[in-house]
Amino acid sequence: MAYISLTAVHKTYPNGYCALKNINLDIQAGQFIAVLGPSGAGKSTLLRAMNALDPATQGEITIDGVTLNKKNYRKIRAHVGMVFQQFNLVDRLNVMTNVLVGRLAEHSWLSSLFYLFPKTDYQIAEAALREVDLLDKAWSRADKLSGGQQQRVGIARALAQQPKLILADEPIASLDPKSSEEVLKLLRKICSEKGITVIVNLHQVEYAKQFADRIIALNAGSLVFDGSPEQLTKAKQAEIYGTTYEETSHDAELVLAYT
Amino acid sequence: MSIKTLPSRPHNLFPLWLSLALALLWLIIWDLDVAFQDLVYGIADMGEYLSRYGAPNLSNMSSYLHLMIQTLVTAFWGTTLAFIMAATIAPYAARQLTPNPFIYRIARELLNFMRAMPDLLLALIFVSSMGLGPLPGVLALAVHTAGFLGKFFAENMERVPAGKYEALSAVGAGFTQKIVFAAWPSMLRESVGNVLYIFDRNVRMAAVLGLVGAGGIGLELHDALRLFKYNQASALIIIILLTIIVIDNLSSWIRKVLN
Amino acid sequence: MMLSWYWPTPNGKPPLIAVLSVLVPLAVLLLTASTVDMSYNKIFYAIPRMLDFTKNLWVMPDWHYVPQLAKKMLETVEMTLLATALAILLSMPLGVLAAKNASPHPIIFRITRDLLSFIRALPELVWALVFVSALGLGPLPGIMALSLVTVGFMGKFIAESIEVVDAKAIEGLESTGCTKFQSILYAMLPQAVPDFIGSLLYILDHNLRAASILGLVGAGGIGYDMVMSMRLFNYERIGMIALSIYALVTLLDRLSDVFRQKALGGILNVH
Repeated sequence: MAYISLTAVHKTYPNGYCALKNINLDIQAGQFIAVLGPSGAGKSTLLRAMNALDPATQGEITIDGVTLNKKNYRKIRAHVGMVFQQFNLVDRLNVMTNVLVGRLAEHSWLSSLFYLFPKTDYQIAEAALREVDLLDKAWSRADKLSGGQQQRVGIARALAQQPKLILADEPIASLDPKSSEEVLKLLRKICSEKGITVIVNLHQVEYAKQFADRIIALNAGSLVFDGSPEQLTKAKQAEIYGTTYEETSHDAELVLAYT
Repeated sequence: MSIKTLPSRPHNLFPLWLSLALALLWLIIWDLDVAFQDLVYGIADMGEYLSRYGAPNLSNMSSYLHLMIQTLVTAFWGTTLAFIMAATIAPYAARQLTPNPFIYRIARELLNFMRAMPDLLLALIFVSSMGLGPLPGVLALAVHTAGFLGKFFAENMERVPAGKYEALSAVGAGFTQKIVFAAWPSMLRESVGNVLYIFDRNVRMAAVLGLVGAGGIGLELHDALRLFKYNQASALIIIILLTIIVIDNLSSWIRKVLN
Repeated sequence: MMLSWYWPTPNGKPPLIAVLSVLVPLAVLLLTASTVDMSYNKIFYAIPRMLDFTKNLWVMPDWHYVPQLAKKMLETVEMTLLATALAILLSMPLGVLAAKNASPHPIIFRITRDLLSFIRALPELVWALVFVSALGLGPLPGIMALSLVTVGFMGKFIAESIEVVDAKAIEGLESTGCTKFQSILYAMLPQAVPDFIGSLLYILDHNLRAASILGLVGAGGIGYDMVMSMRLFNYERIGMIALSIYALVTLLDRLSDVFRQKALGGILNVH
């Protein structure tokens, strides 16, 4: 059975905007999946529906045999890590605390009140920081770090949740090319070595082809492509982004010229 | 550069500061000899005491309303005079506008001095030199809050982007012209907010100026409480409370409209 | 012939809103001048007496009064600190309940908001009058009045600074499956700290001024001596008291300016 399955998922915002239309999807455990599509296609909404930050309005999402509903979403979130475009760290707390935040779901309000964590949590956080290679920054304040480093803290927070699934919502859209590649390599390594399923929203087709096991593409809230990186030809890309073949290659040249 | 071990945790001085603060508070409680336990015992009595305010005596309503209007007028005059004084002094106390550093220092110190003198002390002084009545109250409020407004205006003027002043200097504008054409148009909105804040404050203050014989509703309340006329006191408190709430809502409405 | 000067507007006349915002207050001022005894005579008559008063202040200070003055000033500072500390303790939970994004329920939010605006509506001196008539003279009613009004202000400031905390940090926490209480503690409160410190400095300043006049109604501090020496025309003391208040308020003002700039890198802007 598939690890994640989405059945007839719809998302309509209160203002009537329909962000996801009838999405049916099965995802196997341990895969690295890239989600492509133009801005506003519903990529973020899809990821945010999977941990109920933006719950789907219709349809069913099942993760590891548990169907998301209003009552159990916190339990599901506890083992689903999320990595954000803007990192979403608590700037004024140090890196260690930001990573320990990934353990909060396991604790009662009383121990949280005094900012106390058990020793095992520190070991988990230390391992997560070692994984993202930021042990030396453990006691620095989060806002003193560079963008790439902050995103690695975001990944460490997700790792501290000891997740089976990591959702990364455009994790490299605010980073420079060098940090972007580092972050994607890190996510790929986590997927391959720990067998954690990783779903990444991306804008760059090239990165998707380089890192992903499987590529999914959305346009205007509908699933328009689902296949292996090899199957994503130039013609298919043009279809996804709603441009002609010539324009795409022209854009690609322009992009190359400016990077 | 990457390291493989967690650096040792830096010393956290927060517990030390917290215990020092608590020790200081304990020392203060001991020195002031305040008995909070009396307060706990007294809560039952407090209920009985507060019940004496239960039946507001509204028979003197028209004279109370007259006093409340006098209070509002005192606050209005005080605020207007403060505005005039503050607007005159502020440009000299703004770094970019002041003619020379010496005048800047003097203007700042003058504003500081006006702010530091409590308005009740000023009211006492004015009452003893010009007799009882609302006029000394107006002057006391004017002098004290001109210090505040002047500081706010000067800070607003310093926050105006330097380019605006430079542009006017470039066309050969003088001191007054810079104030009229660069400073005020750029800081109008914040300054209106400051004036409203000061007016709110002055209404509250005018309500108690009567305690030193400077007009308004305060003296009436003082006398009512001194003669244990709780029903009159409660009527007065209700009038003051309602007026202040109305004024507060009015000024936050104006602030909202301006934004 | 009319002067040929025009306003820089399409029709050359000043905008209506500008005219009204000058004329209306002016009309109000003129109509109410008699209510506040604002008259040329009265002011003119007061000037020589003001000068007299100022002249009287130039006397040798009453050195025997120094210990008493020091004691009362210390009491004023202690009242300020204690009242502020008590108010922080009480206003933290109230502030959280009165913040739209942290409050557990919209009804609780509404009730706390209204409660806070109710208790800060009346000035400290009115509360002090009430508490003095309930508990008798001394610093305790003063401290209670100060803390009460401060809770009203501080609670509102705390709520406002929690409401402007960047939603991103809160979302980051919620994505890990933690409870609302945990996201208040680990995202909202730490992110709001600079704002808290700004409000705290403002409140301290305000409370010191308030504490210095509470004595007027017998609620402790230097205020009582201030009124008494004024009533008795004890100029030797009035000057000393005014100077000490000036010095203390200025000292706190400078300290908080330095603290604001040094500790927070000048990112604060709370008046």
